[in-house]
Amino acid sequence: MNVITTLCKHQQFKHTLAEYRGNLYRIAYSWCHNPALADDLVQDTLAKALKNSSQLRDPKTIKAWLYRILSNCWHDHFRRSKDTVDIDDVVLIEKTTPDSSHDRQQIIDRVRNAIACLPMGQRQVITLVDLEGCSYIEVAQIIDVPIGTVMSRLSRSRKALKARLLEAEVEDCPNVHRLRTVQ
Amino acid sequence: MSDNTPISEERLNAFIDGELDATEKNEVFEALGKDTTLSQQVCELRQLSELVRHAYDKPPESEKYCKPEPRRMSMWGRAASAMLLVGLGAMLGWQGHQPPVQQAGPGTHAVYWDKDHAFQNTDLSKITSQQGTKRVIVHLNTSSIDKFEQALDTAEQLLETYADSELGAEVEVVTNASAVKMLRAGYSPYAARVRALQERYLNLTFLACKDAMDHVRELENLEADVTLLPDVDVTQSALEHILNRLSEGWVYINV
Repeated sequence: MNVITTLCKHQQFKHTLAEYRGNLYRIAYSWCHNPALADDLVQDTLAKALKNSSQLRDPKTIKAWLYRILSNCWHDHFRRSKDTVDIDDVVLIEKTTPDSSHDRQQIIDRVRNAIACLPMGQRQVITLVDLEGCSYIEVAQIIDVPIGTVMSRLSRSRKALKARLLEAEVEDCPNVHRLRTVQ
Repeated sequence: MSDNTPISEERLNAFIDGELDATEKNEVFEALGKDTTLSQQVCELRQLSELVRHAYDKPPESEKYCKPEPRRMSMWGRAASAMLLVGLGAMLGWQGHQPPVQQAGPGTHAVYWDKDHAFQNTDLSKITSQQGTKRVIVHLNTSSIDKFEQALDTAEQLLETYADSELGAEVEVVTNASAVKMLRAGYSPYAARVRALQERYLNLTFLACKDAMDHVRELENLEADVTLLPDVDVTQSALEHILNRLSEGWVYINV
């Protein structure tokens, strides 16, 4: 009976992991901006999660646990590949946009480019908060920094994005006036 | 928070992220009602969050990717790595006793970790041209005002020098031991300059060592943690942080 219960739990765990796959891929992609590498990182993350499933004490914390494994895999990748691939040499975003691409894609490219320009610590924080809705305390646990650091990185990253996306937009288009809040 | 206390940017971010309790939220709502600039800031922050979500709503599908082969180390290799770590400690100690850097900038003496040749001494311009990396740690471990000024000059010159390159430089000023005082609120004579540099260079990060902060706390018998200047990050151990950065390909400069 115990064997059956264990097998059921294992199946349930695999099912839960599969549900997180899309979210993990999105976060991994937002960190590295390379679809294949993101896929690889997710594979590694899921393999490690399966192997170390007994380390997850509270199933409610699975989200933070998985992102923490992903973050470790991402740092491992840097260590493994630093001799062959420098982060600054990786083309994170194709800057040339085909003439045919529409406005939506241009906005997406600009935002991804701005995110890619952020220091890695800030990039991790803003994507975990904005894309996955992680709380500050969860982010602090995932990337192993104090909560004050999470808040300061988030504040700085949004300030940088604002400078690159909102303020640059106004500078680029001097005839465009920003909407003001009317109370 | 009283009515006169300005709402910090960090608090405003916490507000839009739903991280404040009911009382704190009320305070922010009241402030928003009185200050149109503040409410515009909130709108912009929400707009940015929406933009980020929009940008990654549908990430592209995976394509073929050549995964770098993991470096399988022999027992001798592992032993050599352990020696490298010991060597790093010695190197950091040795660096600490060298004459201070007089000329900051690309010609500055720097150290990086090469897997084949252990630690390499070089000047910054060589390493940046050889390896393409522009990620530099500026390390300070004394509370000398002159040295802290040098650290700031070094960081500023690096960021200026590489400002025109595609992604610019990324610089971390890491402080430990008594140097954490230089990033302490109410103590640092360079608070205004640190702020100005943070505002000007978004790829500049200041870090204080938590172990050193705890030591100060014990020495001064404080009940709470040492308060740092705004936007200063904390790392549990500066030495460990430097080791990690070196292993990721960063270049090290001791001031």
